[in-house]
Amino acid sequence: MAKKRPVRKTKPAKKLSKSIVGKDRQTLQALRQVADTVVKTATRSRPPHLDIPSRSLRNVRYNKSKRFIEMGKGTNRRELFNLSQAKAYMQTMLVASGCKQLIEQQKTTSIRGLYYLLKHTIEGTKEETFDDQSDCDPVIEDLEVLLSALREELHVYASNRGTLVGNLVLNDSGDQIDCSRMGSGGYSIPSIVEDDVVEFVRCDAEFVLHVEKDTVWRRFNEDKFWKEYNCILTHGQGQPPRGVRRLLYRLHNELGLPVYCLLDNDPWGYYIYSVIKQGSINLAYESKRMAIPDARFLGLRSKDYQRCELTPSVQIALSDNDIKRAKQIAEYPWFKHKRAWQKEIELMLKNGFKLEVEALISKDISYVTEVYVPERLEEGDYLD
Amino acid sequence: MAAAQKEISVSEFFAKNRHLLGFDNPRKALLTTVKEAVDNSLDACEEAGIVPEIWVELVAINGKRYRVSIQDNGPGIVKKQIPLIFGKLLYGSKFHRLQMSRGQQGIGISAAGMYGMLTTGQPVKIISKISVRKPAHYYEIQIDTKTNKPEILNGRGDGVDIPPGEKGRKYMEKHGIDWVAFYEGEDGQPGKEIRSGTRVTIELEAKYQRGRGSVDEYLEQTAIANPHVTIHFTDPDGNTTVYRRSTTELPPEPKEIKPHPYGVELGRLVTMLKDAKSMTLSQFLTGSFSRVSPAVARRICEAAGLSTRASTRKIGRAEADKLYEAIQATKISSPSTDCIAPIGESLLLKGLHQVVPGEFYCAATRPPAVYRGNPFQVEVALAYGNRNTAKKITLEQLTELLGQSDARTLRQFLLLTFDGIGADGAEKILKTAGFGTRQSPSKLKPKDIARLHEAMRDVNISEGQTMQVLRYANRVPLQFKQRDCAITEAVMSTNWRSYGLSQSRGQLPSGPVTVLVHIASVWVPFTSESKEAIAAYPEIQRELRLGLQSVGRKLGMYLRRRKRVAQQGERRSIFLRYLGEVASAVSQINGADRDELYEHLVKVAKRMTAEADVKLDRQGRPIEEEVDFGDNVLIVESEPPGLAP
Repeated sequence: MAKKRPVRKTKPAKKLSKSIVGKDRQTLQALRQVADTVVKTATRSRPPHLDIPSRSLRNVRYNKSKRFIEMGKGTNRRELFNLSQAKAYMQTMLVASGCKQLIEQQKTTSIRGLYYLLKHTIEGTKEETFDDQSDCDPVIEDLEVLLSALREELHVYASNRGTLVGNLVLNDSGDQIDCSRMGSGGYSIPSIVEDDVVEFVRCDAEFVLHVEKDTVWRRFNEDKFWKEYNCILTHGQGQPPRGVRRLLYRLHNELGLPVYCLLDNDPWGYYIYSVIKQGSINLAYESKRMAIPDARFLGLRSKDYQRCELTPSVQIALSDNDIKRAKQIAEYPWFKHKRAWQKEIELMLKNGFKLEVEALISKDISYVTEVYVPERLEEGDYLD
Repeated sequence: MAAAQKEISVSEFFAKNRHLLGFDNPRKALLTTVKEAVDNSLDACEEAGIVPEIWVELVAINGKRYRVSIQDNGPGIVKKQIPLIFGKLLYGSKFHRLQMSRGQQGIGISAAGMYGMLTTGQPVKIISKISVRKPAHYYEIQIDTKTNKPEILNGRGDGVDIPPGEKGRKYMEKHGIDWVAFYEGEDGQPGKEIRSGTRVTIELEAKYQRGRGSVDEYLEQTAIANPHVTIHFTDPDGNTTVYRRSTTELPPEPKEIKPHPYGVELGRLVTMLKDAKSMTLSQFLTGSFSRVSPAVARRICEAAGLSTRASTRKIGRAEADKLYEAIQATKISSPSTDCIAPIGESLLLKGLHQVVPGEFYCAATRPPAVYRGNPFQVEVALAYGNRNTAKKITLEQLTELLGQSDARTLRQFLLLTFDGIGADGAEKILKTAGFGTRQSPSKLKPKDIARLHEAMRDVNISEGQTMQVLRYANRVPLQFKQRDCAITEAVMSTNWRSYGLSQSRGQLPSGPVTVLVHIASVWVPFTSESKEAIAAYPEIQRELRLGLQSVGRKLGMYLRRRKRVAQQGERRSIFLRYLGEVASAVSQINGADRDELYEHLVKVAKRMTAEADVKLDRQGRPIEEEVDFGDNVLIVESEPPGLAP
């Protein structure tokens, strides 16, 4: 009955290599505390549990003075001896032990790597610890909020998604990188961009232009827009991953660069902006390190259809879902009291269609880089 | 025309109407013959206070003819009576009295002898011995159907006396007379000598076939309801099956009672009055009926407008009529019920457990009740679940068993080797494994055995089983006319769904359940002379319903608890599955002792799912207060649930 795991040799926790310092030491401490609690409860013959801060909509609130979403104090209890939670509990412990190994060995891995690291068949059964990666990812987030440690501090990263180009020189893991000399591909923004990994060396740029997706970003890069207007050009492939958001935050806060966003004129675009500006519900606990309340919404605007004299063929009809979503977004506390935003969303609903940034190509291939963005910047016509 | 009118003898009548007595076809004739003889033997043994031991032997003479011998260790029959008992229809000790017994009319065994004589021309052979020292009487008897009188064929019409002891045994051997002289001893050695007994041999046209309504089934069911009886059964193939007694305690001897006034019909009352000697009405009433005191007699007479002093001679038709109505109108207490000897709950459990494999048994005996002035009592017992040995066998064991088996087909092998498979189950297993029905068990390759093993493990043989209803009247199994019987009707009209079984409307419930219903009465109301089904008197139906409900409730409790225990067991196995992982992960993080932590966690898990331990702990401990099944419940331990990770 007693299961003997094949690999059972655990290094005593005290023999940590001396090189583990600072944050890593703290994270390890937090991990050990979780494990100690389990031992303590079990020794007293009590059912162990974890109180994980809740990552649901109900447990976030908009902090008006800080102007971003904050996590509330609500927690969800995860019990080992609860049929529906037993497996999740086990998985949480597994992820914790995985992260501990990573920190101890001073290595990092992707969330997929961690999934493979921890995935195995539970002894004596045909059951896998994790069925697929979607089982594992939320558990990592749970652990982050539980330890109030960032994913990066757990030595786990997401795959790179998002690219940067512009007048910026930085130091990435010891390599000096001049982001103005990145060819057509650009600098791929890593998921961990803390200052121990990415260090800004020199910056001549005056602002940051964040576009929604790769195709638009290419247009701007090909036209050397960033050179002409001396800016940093980024994209996040739709909803920007936390690496991109964290880097934008650092560019904004450490280098004092204003952030402009060029996103589609649809509820999704509004939402991306909202996340960059106020933080997301899911990662509310990281808002203070990611949200950029001063980020500006440059376009596309609902009024652009008329302003730029676009043809009806670029219209995409709003679906029922879009309409519902738009109404929800209008109700967000950070949009609710902004008349400009209310008008913007109202107009889109009135139009009954959405517009993608690519729609501007119908005017001219380089219309967006040569006319649209420069004009908006010139006019200072953006939403806040 | 007038010249053609003549008297019909009872024997002649039954010779022509043999179906009335249960001799409709050769197969049933065999059963009826065995049954009548065994019933008589049991009655005789019990009456004499002897623990019954019975030998039943079937010998096939040719395809259509069988010789049936039944021997008991009863008191034996006095010489004078033998020809009358076996050679005269409607001769018996039981018809005129109101006492609970298996036989009632005194037709049975002589009718069997008559049937044998009609179909084979062979006489009935009887040996009876009343004491070790006295000679045994040997008779060959025929029944004269015209006169309903016995004809003795041997010993010049006087039978033969066989001396006791060794000399007699030699004589019997010489003349080819079978007699079991010794009880079965230990290690195949002969045991004690049988002091007395009767052996009857009848040769008849018959057909031997196993299965429903067979001799095997009858004997098996008899063994269930009569746990004090040992039956040795030798079938025509020469195989001997022994149903051993599980108790040596005889059922209490039922008392003979006088009829209860309510149960007497007008015609019978008139006859009784006519037969009575000259006496006062009050004397007549108190003397011939039970529960009639002088006070009650006075009330009856008052209601009838007759004097208590009136002479029975002077009661005419009209007065009898008044008297009959007065009896019905007067309140008379129920007949005393000590004339009934129920099997008893604990013996029922023993008997059922001995023969029917299962995991849960319970029994209920209703208090005695009365229909038409006849006391009766209903007993119900129930067995649930088949302890299916086929599921637990290992591949090695199966291979070994197959090697040892001398069964001709795989189907037979399965049926003979494993308890509770049943014909349907065997068919299903063979079908799943992809074998033909005639597959021989000796020529299987290891691959085939593996396939069979897998099928035996996977096939759910309890699925689609319907409840088996065993019906008994005065300890005699009823095997035919199931649909016409009040017992079956009562089982079908009971709502078994509320006790955790599935049941279609108006059908027997399904599931691995066996229900045994026993009606004991001084006069069992059969629907016909062949004693195959019980008539549905409302009082009987009511008692049947209440009895079935009381075992049903216990079954429901058991099934619910079993389900709960299973759920808890499943819960625990889910927890246990993850505990190892949790312990390893934690020790990985803080270096705690993994095994120690694991033990602690398992302890907590056990505490959290304590319900699943109920079964494990119960051995030797009283059933916990929470689930109190009451008396007379037997639960056969099965392996602990859900502890395997």
